[in-house]
Amino acid sequence: MSNTKSLLTIKDLHASVEEKQIIKGLDLDIKPGEVHAIMGPNGAGKSTLGYVLSGRDGYSVDSGSVTLDGEDLLDMETEDRARAGLFLAFQYPVEIPGVSNLEFLKASVDAQRQARGEDAITSADFLKEAKAACKQVNLPVAFLKRGVNEGFSGGEKKRNELMQMLLLKPKLCILDETDSGLDIDALQIVAEGVNSQRSADRSFIVVTHYQRLLDYIKPDFVHVLSDGKIVKSGDASLALELEAQGYAWLQKEPVEDELEG
Amino acid sequence: MSEWLESAIARAQGINDWLAPKRAHALELLANTKWPTRKTEAWRYTPLRPVERTQAKVITDKVELLPVAIADLSAIELVFVNGQFDQTQLAKTLPEGVSISLGGDLDTAQQAEALHAFSTIKPERHIFGLVNDALAQDVVVVTVAEGVEITQPIRISSLLSQGAESHTRVQVTLAAGSRLTVIEDVQAQGDSFNTAFVEYKVAANASLEHYRFALQTGSNVSIGGSHFNLHDHAKMHSTLVGFGSELSRLDTDIIHAGEFADAKLNAMYLLDGKELFDLHATVEHAMPNGKTEENVRCIVADRSRAIFNGRIHIHRDAQKTLAELNNRNLLLSDKAEINTKPELEIYADDVKCAHGATVAQIDKQALYYLQTRGVSRSKAQVMLNFGFINELIDLMPNAALAEWIRPIIRERFAQMEVK
Amino acid sequence: MTEQIDKALAREYEAGFVSDVESETFEPGLDESVIRRISEMKGEPEWMLEWRLSAFREWLEMEEPEWALVDYPKIDFQSISYYSAPKSMKDKPKSLDEVDPELLRTYEKLGIPLIEQQMLAGIAVDAVFDSVSVVTTFREKLEEAGVIFCPISEALHKYPDLVKKYIGSVVPKKDNYYAALNCAVFTDGSFVYIPKGTRCPMELSTYFRINEQNTGQFERTLIIADEGSHVSYLEGCTAPQRDENQLHAAVVELVAMDNAEIKYSTVQNWYPGDENGKGGIYNFVTKRGICHTNAKISWTQVETGSSVTWKYPSCILKGDNSVGEFYSVALTRGRQQADTGTKMIHIGKNTKSTIISKGISAGRSNNSYRGLVRMNPGAEGARNFTQCDSLLIGDQCGAHTFPYVESRNPSAIIEHEATTSKVSDEQMFLCRQRGLDPEKAVSMIVNGFCKEVFKELPMEFAVEAGKLLEISLEGSVG
Repeated sequence: MSNTKSLLTIKDLHASVEEKQIIKGLDLDIKPGEVHAIMGPNGAGKSTLGYVLSGRDGYSVDSGSVTLDGEDLLDMETEDRARAGLFLAFQYPVEIPGVSNLEFLKASVDAQRQARGEDAITSADFLKEAKAACKQVNLPVAFLKRGVNEGFSGGEKKRNELMQMLLLKPKLCILDETDSGLDIDALQIVAEGVNSQRSADRSFIVVTHYQRLLDYIKPDFVHVLSDGKIVKSGDASLALELEAQGYAWLQKEPVEDELEG
Repeated sequence: MSEWLESAIARAQGINDWLAPKRAHALELLANTKWPTRKTEAWRYTPLRPVERTQAKVITDKVELLPVAIADLSAIELVFVNGQFDQTQLAKTLPEGVSISLGGDLDTAQQAEALHAFSTIKPERHIFGLVNDALAQDVVVVTVAEGVEITQPIRISSLLSQGAESHTRVQVTLAAGSRLTVIEDVQAQGDSFNTAFVEYKVAANASLEHYRFALQTGSNVSIGGSHFNLHDHAKMHSTLVGFGSELSRLDTDIIHAGEFADAKLNAMYLLDGKELFDLHATVEHAMPNGKTEENVRCIVADRSRAIFNGRIHIHRDAQKTLAELNNRNLLLSDKAEINTKPELEIYADDVKCAHGATVAQIDKQALYYLQTRGVSRSKAQVMLNFGFINELIDLMPNAALAEWIRPIIRERFAQMEVK
Repeated sequence: MTEQIDKALAREYEAGFVSDVESETFEPGLDESVIRRISEMKGEPEWMLEWRLSAFREWLEMEEPEWALVDYPKIDFQSISYYSAPKSMKDKPKSLDEVDPELLRTYEKLGIPLIEQQMLAGIAVDAVFDSVSVVTTFREKLEEAGVIFCPISEALHKYPDLVKKYIGSVVPKKDNYYAALNCAVFTDGSFVYIPKGTRCPMELSTYFRINEQNTGQFERTLIIADEGSHVSYLEGCTAPQRDENQLHAAVVELVAMDNAEIKYSTVQNWYPGDENGKGGIYNFVTKRGICHTNAKISWTQVETGSSVTWKYPSCILKGDNSVGEFYSVALTRGRQQADTGTKMIHIGKNTKSTIISKGISAGRSNNSYRGLVRMNPGAEGARNFTQCDSLLIGDQCGAHTFPYVESRNPSAIIEHEATTSKVSDEQMFLCRQRGLDPEKAVSMIVNGFCKEVFKELPMEFAVEAGKLLEISLEGSVG
């Protein structure tokens, strides 16, 4: 591995939801430009990881540390983490009736610019960018005027998330089961959008249950999350192995390790 | 205060029996209650003139009256004739786990318990509830033992002969985990006046299936209520079918006194002539995680008047409540009247509550469509009316009752004046 | 999150200052002599005094309404002063130059400069300070179009026939307790007449300011839109921050003749009292309009102020094909109580009404929608659609809906829907994950909730209303 400074470093993270421990000693190191896939069976804590990293209320960190660009992430409010460059693409994006997509996005972009000490973007410039982003994710421009996710289909919601990512230009994107509920065409559009955003200074955590998405978004590393920890890491080939054999053999492994030790 | 109420109070003052403490309390409240007028919110649309001028009298002579037979329904019959509990019509042997007794026949301990529960589920705000407290001769007490499932329904019939006045009262207690079906039915001849109240305590995990048929028509004045107290995980499913009379007023109170209770209420009323039917349905969510679903449908023809007041009250502690009320009305005549008031009173934020009300006439396009297929206009109207109501009849869990009521309703529509 | 929102709701009331103006104020108390004095001060014709006195006698016989879901101590009507006017207004200044600069400064501070050159083009303002109108701008320009826009006290002198014909014609003297009181003691307000076929060239607006202590404000507005005319009218209101409650009991009457259209918008920001419910305005208002054939009246209100609001802007849809609309946002917080809604009385054939009500409750407040939709027997083919949505912020407040639906015509169609919701944790999380701070997130979500109503407001007012909501919610999250 190169000596480049890490973007995200998670050390021995323990986290709980409603007193129940879900993440149980997780370590992860992500360098700029890397794509990490996190796979695992249902209930392994995949979505929880995204919520913990983005600071959702009700998700508490019991111990461990997380730094983003060397800064203590866990010390920040949710919005400050976003402003520091963390973006979460939701599995089930919520509707906000009456608030137009455009209004919402401009407010988000301005809040982040302001945090960086930049001026607010002009409405004309923003509209231009937003229209381009719509085009890129194959979402009709009319969606900018509609309420945030209001009445969107599952696929439209996912593309809307992606469009937000394009506009906010984060350093670290967490895609939470972005493939769920998408047909193959929609999946390709989303994957192309993600691939177009891959760059040397942007990293991705792709959370998924199935290997399918990874056919389109090639990961640099694949980690298997089981019962709140990473139980195995490897390159893209690990995903194929999982596809063939399922998760069961991995879940047993730690027990066997104990026996051997 | 009206003369009628004064005389009712005077009659009640003479009675001295085991219910005396409750009667005294009711009389005290009545003395401070104003006789309702148009300005009294609960009686805004229902004038009490028919009560004020009723000639109905308490009939003490023994009269032979039998409840109507319902095909395929084998019920435990609990019959009141002109307000008096007719023990002779009650089966000699009852299924294991159920008991039905006249309060006066209970032992002192049981009486104390019954007295303790009496009028605690029925709210005190109802003036005729208080009249019933004061004038009901006795209380029939029904209990189902813990965990017992009674498959045979209990039918409570209040039968009135011409010109009779009656005040009946029943207390039903379902112990934890038990199941019971109760049918309430009033069959009244002309010029009669009755008040009929039933209180239900549904303990934890118990389940009540309930029907109330108010099929009296004509010159009858009928005022009553079914009141339910639901404890943790209790369930109730209630169906009301009403035809109007000179004055028919029904109050339903559903109180979520425990968590995770589930209440369903389907009500339908079909009015013709100069009938009036007034339904007040109140749901009190006092505890968290409760669920209520109400469907109220109403068809009014000729010069009839329908009143509906559907109140859902979510108390401060009743977080995570789901409550929904849907009220649909069809107005068939330009002399008829619909007054509906769905109310929400909400003091908890994490709840989902909604109500909807519509008033319209029969779908003219559908009517035309049927006519183009050769169906006569009057027949088409009956079909469409019936369809509107039949959706709720289909939801009745008891098939025998559904099959019994369906042709009665169809006949009712056939008689409604077509305009 | 609730705690965060509550914190955010603690805001400054920006209009809470007191102007240092020397006033002539009546001693508190109410009897016939007070009414005679008011009438005399205004130099009113005899019939007006008689009208006032008969209303007063009716009022004495009436009872205070108690059906609204509001709770406040009984008002002592003898402890209120019924007339207060800046001394400088006694000589009736002829032009702005003669108006006390302190009065002009007051309105400037409130964002309503009265010097025409500084004003927003296109809006004429009548500024009412306590019991008198201070100035009415752009009058010459309006006169050119034949539009009359002046204080009602002046209209009584200049256009007595019009006033006599229409005053009390929509809201009868003894319509209700507060309306009757207003008839007896009203002091000033605006009068508008739009001639036949005229489209009023500007937005008209009245800005009400209560300044003096222990006074009540009883204004009266009368708008007559003659056949085929069109007018858009706005009103705003503020008052100083005081520990005592003050009474505001206004009457507004609108007359829309055949084919006329009146759009009436209100941004109500009376002092709401403090967090513990101390002080604030009792806002007991009767507003009603009558629509003749093909006419339209549209009420839009944004209610954020007052400690108690009791207000039901209504439409009598008398003429065939007439249209009534009611768009309302009511925000209550602290200990505020609002019982507001509308009445749509359908009399004519093919009349239509739309009711959109958005109630937002926070803190320990209570917010009720109360409405009546009535289809009379003659309302052939009439239609109503009602949507009432409530948003609860926190678990100490209340949101209530009391709709009365009455139909006597089978061809009329009524649809009523009501829902309740909260600002969800998911919505807050999504906004914050995108970098918005919690205050911005809440105000954005609440503004979205109100969008259907805001879009009915004239542009300048929509911006002001949005900001008002933002200020009201400031600190509600944190």
